[in-house]
Amino acid sequence: MSQTTPTAPDGDVTRRSFLRTSAVLATGLAAVAASLKPLFEMDDLPSAEQFMQKYYREMTPADMAVVLKRISNEVEKQYGIRPHVKDYKPMDGVEFVYALNLTRCIGCRKCVHACVGENNQSRNPEIQYIRVLKMPHGTFDLDKGDHNYAPESVPEKGFFYMPVQCQQCHNPPCVKVCPVHATWQETDGITVIDYDWCIGCRYCEAACPYWARRFNFAKPSIPKDRLNPEMSYLGNRPRKKGVMEKCHFCIQRTRAGRYPACVEVCPVGARKFGNILDPNSEVSKILSTKRVFMQLKEDVGTNPRFFYYFDV
Amino acid sequence: MNNGGRTSLVLGALAVIFTGIFAAFLADLPGRPAPRPLIPLVDKSFLSTATVRISYSDLVKAKEDLSDFDCYGCHQKSKPPVLTFDENQKLIVPKAHRDIVMGHGSHGRNNNCFNCHNENNLLVLQPRDGRDLKFSESTLLCGSCHGPTFRDWEAGVHGRTSGYWNRDLGAIDRKDCVNCHDPHSPKFPSRAPAPGPHSLHESTAAPAAH
Repeated sequence: MSQTTPTAPDGDVTRRSFLRTSAVLATGLAAVAASLKPLFEMDDLPSAEQFMQKYYREMTPADMAVVLKRISNEVEKQYGIRPHVKDYKPMDGVEFVYALNLTRCIGCRKCVHACVGENNQSRNPEIQYIRVLKMPHGTFDLDKGDHNYAPESVPEKGFFYMPVQCQQCHNPPCVKVCPVHATWQETDGITVIDYDWCIGCRYCEAACPYWARRFNFAKPSIPKDRLNPEMSYLGNRPRKKGVMEKCHFCIQRTRAGRYPACVEVCPVGARKFGNILDPNSEVSKILSTKRVFMQLKEDVGTNPRFFYYFDV
Repeated sequence: MNNGGRTSLVLGALAVIFTGIFAAFLADLPGRPAPRPLIPLVDKSFLSTATVRISYSDLVKAKEDLSDFDCYGCHQKSKPPVLTFDENQKLIVPKAHRDIVMGHGSHGRNNNCFNCHNENNLLVLQPRDGRDLKFSESTLLCGSCHGPTFRDWEAGVHGRTSGYWNRDLGAIDRKDCVNCHDPHSPKFPSRAPAPGPHSLHESTAAPAAH
């Protein structure tokens, strides 16, 4: 071949080589940029204020007031409702215990949906803190439980129903595995999560023997008319994508002296809640007088504050 | 050593490929995740904290019509009603009371209106010890036979509770026996369950039973 590409002396760049190299670079960069398109459509990035927020347990009341105002503004912007967000603290001399009467539970799942409504869980994808297991009589083998039952009416003959939710353990494995201390046990026994501190690693979900922790895989969606405006920082304020959540005994209700939503909605009165340090509370009476009670998976050593009992 | 032409060719091809990739991403050819299937909102009836029945006390409180409890609108004060039984000694419920299902106690042992009602004064209830109790005191009547359950109920252990667990901050709201139990047929009625969980992924079919 007689044609030769013009070449410059060693190390120099000719116009042609510059042009063809930059053409490849430009198209390559454009391709990479186009592939990142979904990143530019993200609209749930944390604000600078949220990003710089202090750790919950290091916040002064003044810091908390600023944070609560930010949360109120965010909720109002997203849902058009001005919420009442508070930071409820544990009461002195109170340790919460839950007792559930397996003889009474009929498996109607009203508690599941009352909880979703009270605690502003995402409706799609669906997040529910309570799972009701339909179990055949004569066993506590959880592998035999079915949570997808859908008969015409409950209870069904030959089965009992066992609702499972966060057991608020004395010795919670979920707290031990959290690498950033975004979840901890409070003095009234409630294990809480700081949604602004959680990094979404889901270690706690893996550590929990009760399948009580839920992860926000997608941006939660709550219809405006179903939003509960009575909110708490550690409780039911709306979560964002990529954080864990779980039952917190309705902090916004129980730390104000009220019963949790699941207790109030239970049509058969199978759910009992109260202060175990008060000898006259319902739960004290149950644990001291009822014939049988058990903690779920007692053998794993978590020592739950959630007791199942029977009327005999 | 003449590979300048080949270099041009390779680089040109690369540029074309990159342009193709760029166009493909812009046109969303790799596709987006399929939109999640719609999950219908749960019916508000499942969120109601109302009891399954309304007690006499509720009716009084709500100033409702109490004509159902005006026994002497139909009965005569001087004539105690006469009960009739079929050949199996089962009570025949009179037509005027056909909404009543007699189902109190297994084996039909509680088969007589006047175990609880006072035949000489239909406006009151009577436990076996001979006291007269108003309809608003029906809980005491139930407790006269169901002692352990009554004791549990008094302690807050049996029956529904709502309101405040902390009595310093507010009142507890207890319900009467008849708010949940039909006194003539006390077994708690079965009901339709609320919808079960939907999985994160599209299949809404329930997995095979274990």
